[in-house]
Amino acid sequence: MADEHTQAPRPSHSGPPREGRFGGGAGGGGPRRGKRQYFRKKKVCRFCVDKVDFIDYKKADMLQSFVQDRGKIMPRRMTGTCSKHQRWLGVAIKRARNIALLPFATEL
Amino acid sequence: MEERLYDLIFICLPTTPEEEIAKIIATLEQVIADRGGKVEKIDKWGTRKLAYRVAKQREGYYVYMSVRGAQPDLIKELERRLKVSDAVIKYMTVRLDEEIKRQQKLVGRRERRARQRPRKTAAGPASPGPAPTPGPATEPAAAAS
Repeated sequence: MADEHTQAPRPSHSGPPREGRFGGGAGGGGPRRGKRQYFRKKKVCRFCVDKVDFIDYKKADMLQSFVQDRGKIMPRRMTGTCSKHQRWLGVAIKRARNIALLPFATEL
Repeated sequence: MEERLYDLIFICLPTTPEEEIAKIIATLEQVIADRGGKVEKIDKWGTRKLAYRVAKQREGYYVYMSVRGAQPDLIKELERRLKVSDAVIKYMTVRLDEEIKRQQKLVGRRERRARQRPRKTAAGPASPGPAPTPGPATEPAAAAS
């Protein structure tokens, strides 16, 4: 495998961008024209950047950054992962869950 | 049958004494050796927090093994042993050789592409291709032609 993944900050999925997407219901694709525009940086797949060919399910802390607080796998639109790597990532996360490295759902 | 590569992870109760764990590992090794398998690697991760409760425990002693074997009932026997032993609370076997094959294919493809149009990296004159991935990527060309 490639070198250790740096623990990148979890891509924020706070309110504003989502509101921008769903709010108003006027969107038919294309940038929303309005007073406020959100300039989002183009997200790049972290695995493609590192040229990862195999996502190891044993690196729990790396996988942790692709999981939400409650244990859900983060969607691609939040992390920017490409579809190939997202697929492998899903497999890896599910394996990690099986052996109690990652939670299925965090208990409270 | 060609050889297969498996990852075998099991979790013991955190209260298990060290000798007990060594004994479990020894029996597993014995089983593997009997069936013509090979242990590539054994890694005791030690006591870690579990992501969820298993057998009413919040912590567990992880042991990781990488096993190579060709006999079909090898894994069956290993899993049976693990199931029987009281100290083991959870185990998982994953077959990995096909994924590694796929990985090698990808690495090979990338290397070939890099060779075809060498980037303008001044560093490598007639370089053997940038091979950033270590791992078992040695002879990939045969797989993806």
